[in-house]
Amino acid sequence: MRIVLASMRTAFLEAWTNRRSFWLQVTMMMANDLVWIAFWVLLFNKVGDVRGWDARRIVLLYAVLTTAAGLALGLLANSRRIGRMAVEGELDPVLTLPVRPLVYLLTKRVDTSLLGDLIFGPVLFFTLAGPTVERTAIYIAGSLASAAVLVAFLVLLGALTLLIGGKGEQSDLGFQAVLIFSSYPLDIFGGATKFMLYTAIPAAFVTGLPVRLVDEFHAGTFALLLGGAAFISLLAAMSFKLGLRRYSSGALWTRA
Amino acid sequence: MRITPYRSAFVTGARTASAEPIEFALRPLFLVVILMVYESLWGVVIEGAGGIVASYDYRAIIWYVVAAQAAVIGIIPRQIEEIGDDIGGGTIAVEMLRPVSVVLFRIAAGLGDALVRSGSAFVIGAAFVTVTVGPPPSATAVLLALPAMALAVIANMVSQYAFGGAAFWIEDAKGAWFLYQKLIFIVGGMLIPLEFFPGAFETLAHYLPFWTMAYVPGRLMAGHFEPWLIVIQLAWIAVLFPLATLIFRSGERRMQVVGG
Repeated sequence: MRIVLASMRTAFLEAWTNRRSFWLQVTMMMANDLVWIAFWVLLFNKVGDVRGWDARRIVLLYAVLTTAAGLALGLLANSRRIGRMAVEGELDPVLTLPVRPLVYLLTKRVDTSLLGDLIFGPVLFFTLAGPTVERTAIYIAGSLASAAVLVAFLVLLGALTLLIGGKGEQSDLGFQAVLIFSSYPLDIFGGATKFMLYTAIPAAFVTGLPVRLVDEFHAGTFALLLGGAAFISLLAAMSFKLGLRRYSSGALWTRA
Repeated sequence: MRITPYRSAFVTGARTASAEPIEFALRPLFLVVILMVYESLWGVVIEGAGGIVASYDYRAIIWYVVAAQAAVIGIIPRQIEEIGDDIGGGTIAVEMLRPVSVVLFRIAAGLGDALVRSGSAFVIGAAFVTVTVGPPPSATAVLLALPAMALAVIANMVSQYAFGGAAFWIEDAKGAWFLYQKLIFIVGGMLIPLEFFPGAFETLAHYLPFWTMAYVPGRLMAGHFEPWLIVIQLAWIAVLFPLATLIFRSGERRMQVVGG
């Protein structure tokens, strides 16, 4: 644990070293988030609400999404790079260390721009999403579960590279897909697509269920969210372990 | 001016686009994911509005999305940042040793790459949408939309060089890619047609060049036969292209005098 904390501290200090760049990247990410909210405001302005979704609920959705993305992709930035790290031989030095490789890898790097999300999400929630004590508690629990699902899904995709090879492209596509689907209200999807969002691309667990819970708490839905997060986390950890057994170094000098 | 080096750059760029087959195949798949989302969203929106919103019905708006997204998706998102890096890192200084125009050569290579990427994204997106939604609303308008997509890519490319050229003078200009991308997303009409904007905002968007890079091909593909939109694209290219050339020429001169 001490090593992990030291690793996270070093990663954060590295990002913090160039203050000007740090704040520039953070600000740009926050501007990016605002653009998406502007899109929805323009849409609602023209057509009214969409299946019960209005600007207030979209703000809540983006508060959860950006908080979870900030945690999963900002603080644990390597979650989306595991496949590529394996291909580029970056796993080799980690395997020689007396630490749990997955935990160490995840905490080794911070993505500065996505820390902007980690600031933006809570600010959005506390200013515009009607924070009460109960809603805040569910928002925090929901965002943590959402972040766990995001990280686990990305680790799972990275483990696929260890198992089946390739350059980690499926991670990029999966990452984009889960973020895109999570950026839209779950209620606009139906049939096969909705089923997919509860299974193959778990966007329902990233924003759909947490947002529903903050608006209206239901013990069964909460259990589903926690159960889903626990299941995919376990699956990701096992797949990574299995993948490591098959991993036989991505040493670059062998590819001369 | 000899055309051969620029033609070679264009061809090389086009080959580069398909050099990594998996990456080449995955980019259009990314568009399919976006289309799945937009089909759901617009299906709900248009149904809720009684079948038509701001002159778009369901089929029209989905074809709008295909063309607008495909036109933008072909260009590397961080191109402005790369231009800034190449200026700051000395790559441009080395390229200045060649007996060709640096900016023209780069634009030619970039266009070869981007047109192939946009074209392949459109083919995959159009095939997907034809199956899920049906054919484009107007065959005649498609004849205008296809060249409009190519012109949108050209306008976007030359505009990025005009923006990116700022790095000759401003150290941190490479961050401008982010702002630029968002301008295309919103005022360029990539996320939502300009007709959805409140009056003054829509007027403002029409004064900027970004709508020629996403909205125009989208609007035409949605079945609106409005040839003057292509004239406006050409007019903006006629402004942006010399602007990019001028900025690079001045920047190169500054580099020769002050040093890279």
